[in-house]
Amino acid sequence: MRVFSGQRAWLLQRFSALAILVLLVLGAFTLAGADGSAYERWHALATSTHGSVLIVAFFVSMGLHAWIGVRDVVLDYVHPLALRLPLLAVVAFVLVAVQIRVAMILMGAS
Amino acid sequence: MARHSTGDAARAAPKFLNLAAIRFPVGAIASILHRISGIVLVLALPLLASALGESLSGPEGFRAVLEGATRSWYAPLLLVGVWALVHHIFAGVRHLLMDVGIGSRLAPARASAFVSIAAGVVAAVVWLALWAVR
Repeated sequence: MRVFSGQRAWLLQRFSALAILVLLVLGAFTLAGADGSAYERWHALATSTHGSVLIVAFFVSMGLHAWIGVRDVVLDYVHPLALRLPLLAVVAFVLVAVQIRVAMILMGAS
Repeated sequence: MARHSTGDAARAAPKFLNLAAIRFPVGAIASILHRISGIVLVLALPLLASALGESLSGPEGFRAVLEGATRSWYAPLLLVGVWALVHHIFAGVRHLLMDVGIGSRLAPARASAFVSIAAGVVAAVVWLALWAVR
């Protein structure tokens, strides 16, 4: 947990926020450009090298940003350690599981 | 005994713990909504990964995701996600600007807090309106 605490967490929260913002804008422009054979274009985009890198970067940024945010909220409001630690463990497990899921989806689709 | 005689004054000290009686400044409201919207977005993240998988599973799945998000009976419920996303982005950009010293004085901070709250509400209303005229 020490890896993502203090100033490092603060910086990571800001930089992941900027990354998410940029990726969302990129994604919105890309999807707005989709037309007619939307599925084929979406599939080709998501399984292309740059497309899958951007999708993975988005979910990784979201995972890191989410972890720091949830950690802050849990540390502020959940005081009993017996509740706090399992809660943080569940969140960490789900966030890691999401990353694995996304990787498997992209590998399965290509 | 002398100590006990001061007990009445100590007991009379006011405690303002009644949340309904506390008036929150607009910045405090934007701040707590930033947290709530963040939690909503964390909960939405696994759903987003599921939607990604479904949308790449084939033309059927792709159409199901689009229809589900825009035309289904549960599409209006996504306004919670739309609100959370828009409020979180506006309030987040507000914090990033404050980090570099922009808008951290009281008047602009109050104005931008109001804007971030309004943006989330407007986005949610627009989402509902778009669903209604689909």
